Amino acid sequence: MASKTLSEGGSTGARARAPRSSLRRQGWITGVMMVLPYTIFFLLFSLIPILYGFGVSFYDWSLLGDKTFVGLENYGNLMQDEEFRANLLHTVLFTVVSVPLITGFGLLLAVLVNGIRKGQAFLRISFFMPYVLSVSVISSIWVIFLQPYTGLFNQILRGIGLIDSEIFWLSDSTLAWVSIIMATVWWTIGFVFVLFLAGLQDIPESFYEAAGLEGASRWQTFRYITFPSLSRVTVLVVVLQTIASFKIFGQSKLITGGGPAGATKTVVFSIYENGFQTFQMGYASAIAFVLMLVILIISLLQTLLLRRFGE
Amino acid sequence: MLDRIYPYVVRIAAVLFAVMFLIPIVWMLALSLTPERGSLFSGGFNLSLDNYMTVLNRAPIFGWMGNSLMVSLITTALVLLLASMAAYSFSRIRFPGSKVLFVLFLSAMMIPGEATLIPLYLLMRDVGLLGTRTSLILPAIAGPMGIFILKQFFDGLPKDLEEAARMDGAGFFKIWYRIFLPLSRPALAALGIFTFIGAWNDYVWPLISISDKAYMTITLGLPMFQSSYNQEYALPMTANALAAIPVLIVFLIFQKQIIKGIAFTGGKEM
Repeated sequence: MASKTLSEGGSTGARARAPRSSLRRQGWITGVMMVLPYTIFFLLFSLIPILYGFGVSFYDWSLLGDKTFVGLENYGNLMQDEEFRANLLHTVLFTVVSVPLITGFGLLLAVLVNGIRKGQAFLRISFFMPYVLSVSVISSIWVIFLQPYTGLFNQILRGIGLIDSEIFWLSDSTLAWVSIIMATVWWTIGFVFVLFLAGLQDIPESFYEAAGLEGASRWQTFRYITFPSLSRVTVLVVVLQTIASFKIFGQSKLITGGGPAGATKTVVFSIYENGFQTFQMGYASAIAFVLMLVILIISLLQTLLLRRFGE
Repeated sequence: MLDRIYPYVVRIAAVLFAVMFLIPIVWMLALSLTPERGSLFSGGFNLSLDNYMTVLNRAPIFGWMGNSLMVSLITTALVLLLASMAAYSFSRIRFPGSKVLFVLFLSAMMIPGEATLIPLYLLMRDVGLLGTRTSLILPAIAGPMGIFILKQFFDGLPKDLEEAARMDGAGFFKIWYRIFLPLSRPALAALGIFTFIGAWNDYVWPLISISDKAYMTITLGLPMFQSSYNQEYALPMTANALAAIPVLIVFLIFQKQIIKGIAFTGGKEM
């Protein structure tokens, strides 16, 4: 309204401004209208569920809807819950092992492939291909791949002389984790590899030429030029992998079923079992919030790290 | 000396790794083409499609893939539409509170989907959507990553294009679909690929929501079918192959764009 009166009674200057300010108003109505559809989805399926879930975590809440407010009891019980603590430990161990492994191996593959012109497409396809398969497919492939007597993996290991008796990959708690990690590396490394490869291809040729003039060795070039140039990508990869590792569920559910004897159960496994098998919604919500807290902390660390390495 | 052999070492190592990565997939295909009792190594290569026929007779693989395709396509289309509209608004139209809203969406990126499983289950059950394919699509649209990726891209587009269009009297909405959408095809493709793969592979939420066999996605139906086979591997492997082959074909056709798209989203995610 204010802009309208101004333009009506105004000088030529105000008249010239008039279409602009009405455009601006028309503009921000359009702006709001364009954000609105997404915002509705966000409210209904993201914000409200989060708040609702937080509320549920303070209740003893059964599936049928009998609920009693118990305050922080669920969180208190969580600290005492041996199984949850074990699952949390499994998840942390998996993360600590798999993140450096996937990051390091992904970087290695990217460096190898970056130095090859002929046949690069074939290599890229080979390393990335497993990533497009679903967790169900890769899990089943690995379960069959790892079978004693009939699986190909033991046959290969035996063929190249690494083992001389059958290995029961999925029946031993450590080997079960090794299996899950191998399958996860195989499945997801393509993503990391592609990010690193893109990072490598962004490094200006002149950096290497300068290093060549200085007579730097291959290792020095990598250590002082390649690796520092990849710091942003590396931080990104480590954080994305850490978050993904913390959320691991599909592989453990489908490859080992959480076994043997619960040795490969994870935090999300705890949410799944407490929420949808014993139907303790409140307790499962509390676990979900602990998971969220951990992931929030990792994300905040990322922001800080990126700011440091950023420019 | 080392300098001279280095290129060869690199090549040999890379090819060895590539072969290692291909083995499980090749083996999957080989096993699925090997008739029941036969072994791949003994009995020579006598390939047959019997396993495929058997699996297709016993499980609604195509129905599950149809469900996956439907859910993933609708999710992707809606994400592209809603995210590009919102991202354009955040990038070019400032309205009161737009900054705050954007930061709110941004911070929601840190919330893992796993944290909303329980409340989504309760809410979907209350509105009667639990177990439907719609229940798989709705939460997937609420993810804010698309807005972030596209806003970054839009911010980088030069302003003179739209100035010219605005001189001609085009409104914001028109500028969005006439200028911004065509110009941001690579970004949209990247986001689309990312969203599609994510929706196709989603496992936890469908596992919780869907119980009717007819509405299962392939990611969910496959393990259910396989769990009835214990000491027999040809048929489960064939089911894997059936689920994998269409995806692999699409990947091989679009591999350049897909890999570029992933690199692009990764690069912009910061």
